[in-house]
Amino acid sequence: MGKDECKTMLDALNKVTACYRHLVIALGSTSDSQNLREELRKTRRKAQELATANRTRLTALLKDKTVPREDRVEYERLWVLFSSNMDLLEVDMKRSLEIGEDFPLRVPTRHLIATGMTGSTTAVAARAMSVQNMKYEADGDVDTADLRELRGEIGQVSRMMEEMEMKVQVAPWAVEAKQEPGAELRSAAADSVGNSSVGVISICEEEPKEDDEGARRREAGSGSLCAVLVFAVVLLVAGVLGYLVVSMS
Amino acid sequence: MTIRNTIRDHGQRFRPRMACLKKAEAVLLEMQDPKTGVKSQPQRLVITTIPHAIMGEDIVAWLADRFNTDTQEARSLGCMLVAFGYIYPLQDHKRLVLKPDTSLYRFQTPYFWPAQQWPVEDTDYAIYLAKQNIRKKGILDLYEQEQYSRLHKWMNHKWDFIVMQAKEQYRAGKERKKPDRVVFDCQERAYWVVHRPPPGTVSAMDYGLNRLVDPNAEEVKGEKHYTKTPDFYERIMIFTQQSIMRPRVKSSVSIGAMVKYCTTYKNHDPFLAQCLPSNPWVTDDVTYWTLNMTNVEIPTKMRVERWTFSFGELLSDPRGRDDFRLFLKKEFSGENLAFWEGCEDLKWGTAATMKDKAQQIYKTFLARGAPRWINIDGKTMEVTVKGLKHPHRYVLDAAQTHIYMLMKKDSFGRYLKSPVFKDTQKKAISPDQHQFSEGQLEQNAKKRRPSLSPIALRQREEEQRAKMAASGPVDITQLCRFTAPVPHLSVYSGISDPPSANASPPLPFLSHTPACPSPISVAIDSTPASERRGGGNAAREGGGEYNAEGGGGSGGGVVAGSKSRVALSLGRLLKRGCAPSAVFASLSPKCPAPASMSSRVQPISTDQPAQAPPRRIANFFQIKVDIPPECRIYPIDSEEEEEEEVDSRRGSRGGEGTKEIICPWESLTPQDGTG
Repeated sequence: MGKDECKTMLDALNKVTACYRHLVIALGSTSDSQNLREELRKTRRKAQELATANRTRLTALLKDKTVPREDRVEYERLWVLFSSNMDLLEVDMKRSLEIGEDFPLRVPTRHLIATGMTGSTTAVAARAMSVQNMKYEADGDVDTADLRELRGEIGQVSRMMEEMEMKVQVAPWAVEAKQEPGAELRSAAADSVGNSSVGVISICEEEPKEDDEGARRREAGSGSLCAVLVFAVVLLVAGVLGYLVVSMS
Repeated sequence: MTIRNTIRDHGQRFRPRMACLKKAEAVLLEMQDPKTGVKSQPQRLVITTIPHAIMGEDIVAWLADRFNTDTQEARSLGCMLVAFGYIYPLQDHKRLVLKPDTSLYRFQTPYFWPAQQWPVEDTDYAIYLAKQNIRKKGILDLYEQEQYSRLHKWMNHKWDFIVMQAKEQYRAGKERKKPDRVVFDCQERAYWVVHRPPPGTVSAMDYGLNRLVDPNAEEVKGEKHYTKTPDFYERIMIFTQQSIMRPRVKSSVSIGAMVKYCTTYKNHDPFLAQCLPSNPWVTDDVTYWTLNMTNVEIPTKMRVERWTFSFGELLSDPRGRDDFRLFLKKEFSGENLAFWEGCEDLKWGTAATMKDKAQQIYKTFLARGAPRWINIDGKTMEVTVKGLKHPHRYVLDAAQTHIYMLMKKDSFGRYLKSPVFKDTQKKAISPDQHQFSEGQLEQNAKKRRPSLSPIALRQREEEQRAKMAASGPVDITQLCRFTAPVPHLSVYSGISDPPSANASPPLPFLSHTPACPSPISVAIDSTPASERRGGGNAAREGGGEYNAEGGGGSGGGVVAGSKSRVALSLGRLLKRGCAPSAVFASLSPKCPAPASMSSRVQPISTDQPAQAPPRRIANFFQIKVDIPPECRIYPIDSEEEEEEEVDSRRGSRGGEGTKEIICPWESLTPQDGTG
């Protein structure tokens, strides 16, 4: 069915956009490298393919006047999802152009910002490309070459979006969301088809002297240690009280 | 999806120039140099070690070295970098200050740097909040929760997208290694602390309103995308012609004025001189503001000093204006200030009430025989009266300027020498400088509370104004039932409601015009007794209040030392329709003056023999006896017929006791029984 197909494609586009954002965030920092630039380029290409595919599909569906009302509402919702994705993608592409130009990799006097991130982003890119391992086959000057292409691609994306707006008349504010607040906390959501669940809870470590809301979890080990300690203290207190009671009476 | 309409686009959508950002970026890049930049060290957390942490004191030292300044300056600069979000603190992440000790900081990734051309989108914030929700399992800060609900309401159509994107970003983030994940979380959190500050803090990226013109766009003149039509050149010509015709000031003069201004105000500028007791923006202690509130009893010395700089300063400070009003009350020339305030009210008020206000002001201040008549010259009066036929906001501008100049040239000087002012000056307080330690400063920062809401303040102001209007100083010179105050218009008009006996202030009768004391004294001296018909039985509840000093101080004894308390009596008299002149005690200075020297309000019931004609009317007008019921002071449409009426009445004198007000400039002819 058209709807499911659309949803799958949108999910894929969503995933790629998210990964692209992670990659762009790493630009200019110490985890920047030629590999990162190549990953960016590949992810971007993938995103564009998915975008065009989605666009053709959705435009076809929306232009079709014979669809019933509920279907149309659903398609409009998917359309809003798609256009929001594209907005994000466009902004990220423009920013990556800007930051990429500001931080050329092969100029020795130009230092990368020491942000504390030193690892590579291979896994993220692999997730975006839906492959197991990334292969890097580009040559050494991928950063400058990439930038040239990037300019062209940004223009393409902008034009595509303008065409979209012209062709399809959808009022985005009229769309109602299906998810209520807090929906992200549920592991299995209606839209996340084919993705692993959010079952694993990531433990985010906190700096030693955190003094704010402090709802952070400690490590499992220290947690159980605390529990044991508390138990021992309670036992002790109970013992003391009992002894006092006994000695009183 | 932007709709661009270049022809009639008046939307303000461009962010202003933020030139400091590029400069800060340059500094930040210099800091990265492994040899000459800031020294970094690894940060040890429980199981991981994350590199590139820098200490506060290192940053300050580096900045002081690089810019060759002292540590205080370097510290401020560092604070600025932190406030903008280029460097973020690892401990105490909500307070964006640079502590010059061993507390740790880290550089922010370029994607999260503040940038002028990339506005911070609510969509991103919503995605971030959703991610936080996942991370913290639903336990968000209070303000974050509020923002979350608000965004859910306003961005409902995108909410599915936000949820999807949040989940995907979260999962993608997990693909990175542990230390990088921690760093990423800290980075994102720091970014949003800068751009969506928690309550009680201010964002450094607060730039006010969006601008109409894109500051990054190239200048219009001479650019290829702007067509050079004849119209374009026409506009340039007009502009240059107007620039030539503009009056110019010699630079010596303007520079002299600037130097004078600087020397006068140097000590009052909180940037250049110490703000006593302490600058609230710096130390988070609001004593300075509470001491300088508008309705404070005892002003500070600095404030009082400011009043002496110029008349404008005195008037623009509400406390100063109050003081001045008090002084004028004692001098019995409060109507000037009242008129000026009424004009301001007209200028700044709502358009709906304008016409009424203008009428009210005319009735109270400008008309012949008005209760609080002000002294403006004939030409201005003509112009004003003519303008009042079609009242607009600035119709009273000429009169207002005249009165302003009058007050400035005359009363202001006397005010500065008056006991009222000297008293205020003596009582003024000068608080000591605060000395806060670091710990105390932090305490202050924690105790920050929002101040009174401006709505509450405005309501209070309105109430006060209404109260003043209802029981304002009354310098009625003539009773007229049509000059009853309309409190909702808040014009300081004369008559108050049937009042409490001891609440009304004295009647300032005269605008002192020392410039021409003689005509007045002539008028007074030559005033025959005006008949008083049936006025005596009107109990004069008003008491007399003399201001000996005021009377003595003004030249030529213009300001009569005798007043009667009309406020109360007028209201009642109006109702009874009694002769008002009873109220206008012809309290000549010789008269019950000694008796009523006290400043207490006392009803003077039998001060004067009922039928005795007033020997002197120590007021500006020669008031006749009765008010015929037809006394009308309608300025606007029937100005002419009122004049005719008055004339006719003047013609039909004799025994009839017509109410008539003769403005002294019109006729200083000897009176003939009826004035």
